[in-house]
Amino acid sequence: MENILKRLQERFGVSDSKQQRPNLLFVTVAARKAVETVTYLRDVEGFKHLVLISAVDYIEQNRFQLTYLLHNYQTHSDMGVRVFIDRENPEMESIHHLWAAAQVYQRELKEMFGINFPGSPRVDEPMILEGWDNIPPMRKDFDSKKYSQETYFPREGRFTIDPIKQMEEKNYPLEAEVKYEIKKIVRDNQNKK
Amino acid sequence: MKSKKSSETTKIKNKPEKNWPKIPTDLDPWRPVWAQQKTFDLASGKYLKIWHGPQHPGVTGNMSVELTLEGDVIVEAKTHVGYLHRGFEKLMERRKYIQCFPIVCRICVPEPDFNEYLFATGVEELAGVQVPERGIWIRTLVLEMMRAASLTMGLGGQAGAFGLVPIGQWGVAHRDYILDLFEELTGGRVYHMYIIPGGVRQDLPEGFAEHVEVVMNKLEKLIADIERVMFNNAVFKARAKGLGYIPPEWIEPYGITGTTARAAGVPIDVRKDNPYLIYDQLDFDIILGSESDVYERTRLRKEEILNSIRLIRQILKRMPSGPVRAKLPNVLHWKIPAGETYVRAESGRGEMGYYVVSDGSEFPRRVHVRGASYTHAMAVLERLAVGISIADLAGLMPSLQTCPPEIER
Amino acid sequence: MSLKDILSPFSAWKRTLEKPYTVKKPIEEREGADRYRGFHVNDIEKCIGCGTCEEICQNEAIDMVPVNFIHAGKGDSGLRPQIDYGRCCWCALCVDVCPTGSLGMSNDYIWVTSDPQEWVFKPGVDDKIWKDDDKGYRRSDEAWLLDPKLTPMPVMEPDVRKNTFDEMAYGYEVVMAVEEASRCLECGICIDACPTHMDIPEYIKAIRENRLEDGLKILYDTNPFSESCGRVCTAHCQDVCALGHNGDPIAIRWLKRYITDQTAEKRNEILRIGKSLPQKEGTVGIIGGGPAGLTAAFYLRNYGYHVVVYEQHDKLGGMLRYGIPQYRLPKEVLDREIQTILDTGVEVKYNTTVGKDISLKELKEQYDALFISVGAQIGTQMPIEGIDTPGVLVGLEFLDKIAEGQRPDLGERVIVVGGGNTAMDVCRSSMRLGAKEVFVYYRRTEAEMPANDEEIEEAKEEGVKFEFLTTPTKISKQGDRLKIECIRMQLGEPDATGRRRPIPIEGSEFTVEADTVIMAIGQKVDSSMAEQAEVKATRWGTFAVDPDTLQTNVKGIFAGGDCELGPDDAIHAIADGKKAAYFIDKYISKKGKHHAETK
Repeated sequence: MENILKRLQERFGVSDSKQQRPNLLFVTVAARKAVETVTYLRDVEGFKHLVLISAVDYIEQNRFQLTYLLHNYQTHSDMGVRVFIDRENPEMESIHHLWAAAQVYQRELKEMFGINFPGSPRVDEPMILEGWDNIPPMRKDFDSKKYSQETYFPREGRFTIDPIKQMEEKNYPLEAEVKYEIKKIVRDNQNKK
Repeated sequence: MKSKKSSETTKIKNKPEKNWPKIPTDLDPWRPVWAQQKTFDLASGKYLKIWHGPQHPGVTGNMSVELTLEGDVIVEAKTHVGYLHRGFEKLMERRKYIQCFPIVCRICVPEPDFNEYLFATGVEELAGVQVPERGIWIRTLVLEMMRAASLTMGLGGQAGAFGLVPIGQWGVAHRDYILDLFEELTGGRVYHMYIIPGGVRQDLPEGFAEHVEVVMNKLEKLIADIERVMFNNAVFKARAKGLGYIPPEWIEPYGITGTTARAAGVPIDVRKDNPYLIYDQLDFDIILGSESDVYERTRLRKEEILNSIRLIRQILKRMPSGPVRAKLPNVLHWKIPAGETYVRAESGRGEMGYYVVSDGSEFPRRVHVRGASYTHAMAVLERLAVGISIADLAGLMPSLQTCPPEIER
Repeated sequence: MSLKDILSPFSAWKRTLEKPYTVKKPIEEREGADRYRGFHVNDIEKCIGCGTCEEICQNEAIDMVPVNFIHAGKGDSGLRPQIDYGRCCWCALCVDVCPTGSLGMSNDYIWVTSDPQEWVFKPGVDDKIWKDDDKGYRRSDEAWLLDPKLTPMPVMEPDVRKNTFDEMAYGYEVVMAVEEASRCLECGICIDACPTHMDIPEYIKAIRENRLEDGLKILYDTNPFSESCGRVCTAHCQDVCALGHNGDPIAIRWLKRYITDQTAEKRNEILRIGKSLPQKEGTVGIIGGGPAGLTAAFYLRNYGYHVVVYEQHDKLGGMLRYGIPQYRLPKEVLDREIQTILDTGVEVKYNTTVGKDISLKELKEQYDALFISVGAQIGTQMPIEGIDTPGVLVGLEFLDKIAEGQRPDLGERVIVVGGGNTAMDVCRSSMRLGAKEVFVYYRRTEAEMPANDEEIEEAKEEGVKFEFLTTPTKISKQGDRLKIECIRMQLGEPDATGRRRPIPIEGSEFTVEADTVIMAIGQKVDSSMAEQAEVKATRWGTFAVDPDTLQTNVKGIFAGGDCELGPDDAIHAIADGKKAAYFIDKYISKKGKHHAETK
């Protein structure tokens, strides 16, 4: 697989690569070179099986990572092509003309992450969610727990007590007061200097 | 949806059973056939749109197909999934790795162990945990038993979809025998939560090998019965032969894997191509067919069950002894170094894979489940359904082994 | 369409006579398997309410709730799990992670009710038909998710260490400390057991995440003697550690030592010692520079008061220096720790014995408040004949001399009388001074010895021999050596403290010879200064205080540590010192509802 990496580097420019297993190689290419890379891998290198197209949300770096996983049935090896796209206006060229399965993955990514693939057949049709009116749910800024607590009603009457606090209240309330005040005084002194 | 008066129904020119329509297989890269979208004039009265609803006929799972019919013949089909979306991938992002382990099995109902195995393998690879020998053998045993159970039920479902209901009952009942075995081994019947990162949770109980042998004998008798009742059945042959023909050129563009691909004559099997667990030490052949219609696919699945039984017997004979679990660091605060990986397995349906991305914290960054029937149910079904009679759609869907829980997790 | 294809399916008819697989009455005709994960059971006696099951449950189905007939006690938080079956997925992770093995699952699988609130229940507390089931899923050794083995501390070999006073334990390295810290469940039951309530799970987490500076700050919030405690503390926390029920408790003491050792050089910098502290009006005199007194000094300086310590010896440290030998707590370690406290600006007057050099009454007039922490430094004398024979030593005085650097020659044969930690220190020090044979005579059996189990083990490894149920009755000089007459004892009825009283066995007297006899049978407080300021003392000689505020009957005079509790361990003294600092502040500033003036 090192030869493939070399050839990719020459033609498309690889910014990062990781040989995860002897037959699994991940490479990172620029967004505008991605479709070329994937087409080249399919037609010339023989990675004819599209395994999946997935996205990872790196919210703290303000970008999405798209991963195209390709498989070569002859050499039994996998190639993962990683692409970074902007998170504010996520858009990527469609590869539906290369594989018939790609349009399904792209449809799901549009629905779940909000990444647009212009031209992909039926890409705007909702696939899994019906009548969804919130932000694309797989994004990290969508808090699923908060959504469920607001939309549905949790069972009432449940509460939990921290064992530390319980033992404090029942066994040593006076010493707990002592401990917290002294801790506050010591920390104040440490912080103000 | 308006109902039609019988006099206005369009007459079909060719009876579907004898003259299967020619499916265009041109793969013109500039205008591939799957990117062409047709629209039908519904107001003209020639077409009828109906909903082939989510109650599953057979074992297709809860998904519906929106059909546009011209008389009895389907001219357009659109698959609708979404009845079983539980948001597992999002749920896993806020649970620690050990807390993800009980929920992955619920991603697929007929074959939950493959999910457990793939999640455990992905995490072990990223964390650098080595599973002991016996643990690997027990995992293989569990996966093969799971495959046998799921395919038995699948056979039953396939028969039931064509109206051969007793076979449907037999399939489900014999799956129940295997579920009893699982209850004895793992403590749960359908969702086992047994394959944990690091190995398996407990060793085989006493007398397990004998119980497995009893059930395998029952299963072999059942397959012999099914051969007589289903495969040598005039009705089944008439309906299933020639239905749903998948040309071998479709395997790569549509990403078809598993029995469906092997029925078309393409010998791909993850157990042979990218051997995982101990499949490179076991003795078995790829089961290949030539006519890729519903009959062939069903026949291959029956062969797979017999293959699984042979593999199970081999595994039980050759299993080494030793510990079944590697020690994990304290799972309450287990951090896995950053990285990403893709692991795959051959489930009863096809190639199932997990793409696991970790970022060095206690929670997974992204876990993407590649269901084996993801493309079978969405893209392939929509193409295959065109031109067949509506009565045959129910028989076509189980042959593609659609499993909506893994399509939409 | 051949004839075979039409006739062959009729073979299905042979199944009409088969018995169906389904059963009418599931739970009676078909029990769940032995390992079936059914409904929960909990042994509420074994359960300690640690809350680990709540933490691992992936769907937040478990709550820890109080139960009205279970009280929070030592090592038990009093809470018990309550499981919501609307959310439980029966994965049995809670069973596999339970440190005591109390939680389990029966193999029952049918529960029909018309009230959905019933499905929130407390296993073991609520009466259910499966409550006493034996079968079902239980935690097994191979499935247990926790690690019962502790990371051993590398120590010097017994043959090597019995000849030297160098420190015996080498200390954890980074990998070992992180491995040991990873075992912690963060349940927090140890916080209650610690007399000064240190935030143990927090600093263990700091080790795990390699934030040693934060760890040091957490230690000093409650205990400025963390480095010494990291070596010699009796570790009440380890006695109640959740993992200790079915495995080794976490080595909390060694982890504490790890933090302080690794941050020793930068300690003052991290804690910002020596920079300006608040200034408050008020002076406090502290009598006795031991752990209690110096802890009070440290915290009073943080409050901002001017503090003066009066120390009888020429070095500070109290029993930490003069009662614990070098091989357990090296003097350099103690020195640098005391230096950190002194760097906050504590003034010390050495070689000043209050009660003799200066009276308590004078001090009362000089300072706004006083804290008496003189400890229990007088060794109890055995009431037998021949106590003042030369060669008969008192344990505490002997340890005092060793701490000052003297290495007296004890001869070849040494007999130590006593069974507490002091006796262990004495006998092991004697070994190191070159004695060929060291015996420990204790009047009860090993099970009743108050010394730490670790100390007894290490003493045995070093070659100390133990004679139980033996006590000397008379000592006399015989030429160069001492002649000791002893008698065997047997255990009789329990006395007031609950320990069985030893009764001499008639006719079992015997005589032995030895070069030195050392008495280590108890400690007493010297409270002679008390009457100088009309402070009351109890009948055991300790200072009488209000147990909540540590104030004596005289307003403004507080007492704490060994001199108030009776002989106890260092951590109790430190806890008292901290508490006294709080109440002294309240007294002087006349604030807060615990204002001592109003009592």
